[in-house]
Amino acid sequence: MSLVDESFELKELQVLEGHADRVWSVAWKPATGFDGVPAVLASCSGDKTVRVWEQSPSSGSFQCKAVLEETHTRTVRSCAWSPSGKLLATASFDATTAVWEHVGDDYECVSTLEGHENEVKSISWNASGSLLATCGRDKSVWIWEVLPGNEFECVSVLQGHTQDVKMVQWHPNMDILFSCSYDNTIKVWAEDGDDDWHCVQTLAEANNGHTSTVWALSFNATGDKMATCSDDLTLKIWGSDLLTIQSGNGSAPWKHICTLSGYHDRTIFSVHWSREGIIASGAADDAIRLFAEDGDGLVLNNPSHNGCDLEFFVVDEPKYHLLLKKDKAHDMDVNSVQWSSAGNRLLASASDDGTIKIWELISLAGDQKPPL
Amino acid sequence: MSSEKFSATLRIGDLNDYIAPSQGCVVSLKANSNPNPNTPPTSSSRLDKFYAENPATLGKAVKPVETEPVKISLKDCLACSGCITSAETVMLEKQSLDEFLSSINKGKAVIVSVSPQSRASLAVHFGLSPLQVFKKLTTLFKTLGVKAVFDTSCSRDLTLIESCYEFITRYRQCHLTTDEKSKLALPMISSACPGWICYAEKTLGSYILPYISSVKSPQQTIGAIIKNHICQMLCIRPEDIYHVTVMPCYDKKLEAVRDDFVFQVEAQGEKITEVDSVLTTGELLDLVKSRSVDFASLEESPLDKLLANAAEGGHLYGVHGSSGGYAEIIFRYAAKTLFGKEIVGPLNFKTIRNSDFKEVTLEVDGETVLKFALCYGFRNLQNVVRKIKAGKCEYQFLEIMACPSGCLNGGGQIKPKAGESAKDLIQSLELKYMENVTEADPLENPIIKGLYAEWLDEPGSEKAKKHMHTEYHPIVKSITSQLQNW
Repeated sequence: MSLVDESFELKELQVLEGHADRVWSVAWKPATGFDGVPAVLASCSGDKTVRVWEQSPSSGSFQCKAVLEETHTRTVRSCAWSPSGKLLATASFDATTAVWEHVGDDYECVSTLEGHENEVKSISWNASGSLLATCGRDKSVWIWEVLPGNEFECVSVLQGHTQDVKMVQWHPNMDILFSCSYDNTIKVWAEDGDDDWHCVQTLAEANNGHTSTVWALSFNATGDKMATCSDDLTLKIWGSDLLTIQSGNGSAPWKHICTLSGYHDRTIFSVHWSREGIIASGAADDAIRLFAEDGDGLVLNNPSHNGCDLEFFVVDEPKYHLLLKKDKAHDMDVNSVQWSSAGNRLLASASDDGTIKIWELISLAGDQKPPL
Repeated sequence: MSSEKFSATLRIGDLNDYIAPSQGCVVSLKANSNPNPNTPPTSSSRLDKFYAENPATLGKAVKPVETEPVKISLKDCLACSGCITSAETVMLEKQSLDEFLSSINKGKAVIVSVSPQSRASLAVHFGLSPLQVFKKLTTLFKTLGVKAVFDTSCSRDLTLIESCYEFITRYRQCHLTTDEKSKLALPMISSACPGWICYAEKTLGSYILPYISSVKSPQQTIGAIIKNHICQMLCIRPEDIYHVTVMPCYDKKLEAVRDDFVFQVEAQGEKITEVDSVLTTGELLDLVKSRSVDFASLEESPLDKLLANAAEGGHLYGVHGSSGGYAEIIFRYAAKTLFGKEIVGPLNFKTIRNSDFKEVTLEVDGETVLKFALCYGFRNLQNVVRKIKAGKCEYQFLEIMACPSGCLNGGGQIKPKAGESAKDLIQSLELKYMENVTEADPLENPIIKGLYAEWLDEPGSEKAKKHMHTEYHPIVKSITSQLQNW
């Protein structure tokens, strides 16, 4: 039994209102939403604020617990919790990145990272929380080391993209950094053993890559696959041989696995891969779509492909199917979709309509739950 | 000749300068470099998102694509806060080989001052010694009609002496007085790197500028010497001299066009520029190639010893430290002057985070009394700037250079050969830099002693301040960049 054989419904649980401008991004706080710890979500907006929402244990509804304001002077473009959940980093068009610590009932700005020439677009913590990456309109990617006492030191300033860098994302368990850009490429950055960082791979159009702006990327739970989404109206799945990388025998290149085209007719701004393997996309057509890989990942088992030599070339390609499309998920562009990591099948979405929505993925096949 | 390189256009792409022109440049770069030629931003949502993310570009993206290259002068570039430094990406009419060659033909007295880093780069490239390179360059230039070929390691000794005196003054100010201004006396930051100066003026502004040494760089120092003093000895009017430097760095071109380095002898007189043109080492190599000259077999002409660190025996002399030796020379001088400690032998620079961040300390009676650092490359620069801003900088002097590995690795140097790594090349350059060059104390340089005796009186004198020191100016945000801030 695989995900694609099931029927699902994406049920709207709640609309979170409060931001006075478009909401750019949402981030679930790690280690919340299970074991009696209430789920916590951060959101950031064109209204220059960050809001922290917490699920009430009794009612199950989310309430705004904190508004982080009067620090950023322009749009807050993205936010990211450190893996421990202790720190929240926020990237702003005011050219700074702020780092906030939860102290008592309040969030205190404990550090401000300056250096980008102008708009900071995205931030990401590595798996251990020891490194923070930022990127922005100045085409650069910065890596900061987190030192004791909320001190941050610049480890590297990476020039390589030729345009606005839209997003940075660390690999889920290795210190390899990924960035995607208005220059249509995805770049892979790794440390060279001499305390500096270099681009080790560029996934461009020539590598079956995107033909327009790459807006976002996300990894599956094991980290051997990556999904990217683009203004070229496609999602692309990339894969790498993790064992080769982990053994330290050089970097295993990322290879194009497949392209999900024909599903979107407007720009795809956000992609996020759930721990159980469901890929969510948020797009400019106000819709949210969910995709999953075929159960065993082999097209060979698909009877329609029997006996055709041409089809045989692609037998090893995993096949992804549209699980569902939620039309009019928002009134305007969906800028960000994020699955909760708590295994509760909660999805948060952020939109130009100024709202955040909390969704629950419900299986319509009775009590049957897919293997997690 | 590399005509595409020397058109007066603004170029972007495939450049390894440490920061490229920003998208906030007043000149629309994007018009010429749409990364998505096949997918213009036609979908309305994409345009909406583009404007939402790039408010300052509103109206720009819909401009018709310009077919003519956009012209921009270096002064535009200096005055604009749009980006940090991009000299390598800005090609200029007045700073090209063509301009240099035509000036010789116009009958100006052309003087060329060659940096030691450029000599090292050519020496590695041709498998010669720096001295051989210098002598062959002298032959080459004189064949072209150049009047004199000088050496910026000579003027650098003057820069270093003025820097030593400035440091002592700042140190005493910081330690003997307690007013607010004295707090800005230390750390003193070196001023020779134009990339750093440009970044500080455009991005950091008033909080960092007071710390930067007021002493001119060796390039501007030799320009001031030539156009104020040497010209008189040569009986040439300064306005009749066309002075060219050969530098490891494109950003030196930005430095040369600063208004601070233009002066008038008389109130109504002609404006005189200390350095009329800067050629990079790579451009000089282009000249050699364009003339089909077999450089290695050129004759070795005698050096112009008027302004060259060339000893009687024929060898070159100068300070240790391939980025100018500022930290080392000032450290030794301060240890001796302030604490009576004469340091014999090499200084013990300790690597702190990486090979581009090193510090050296002086302890007296178990207490650290001096702490200096070498800080090269943009990432290390960021961290010391953060420390200064937070008031947590423990150094009294910082030798800051924008390029990783310092000036030998400048953007204007000859690129590694095929199969050669950048790191290997740097190692070769470091070795070559001091090959057969005798280490010598700047204070003992007879040429510099002569300049003080005949002209500048003494280090830190009024005359020295007038000719050898400069000022820095925070760049006011342009309208364009202010627009970005809503």
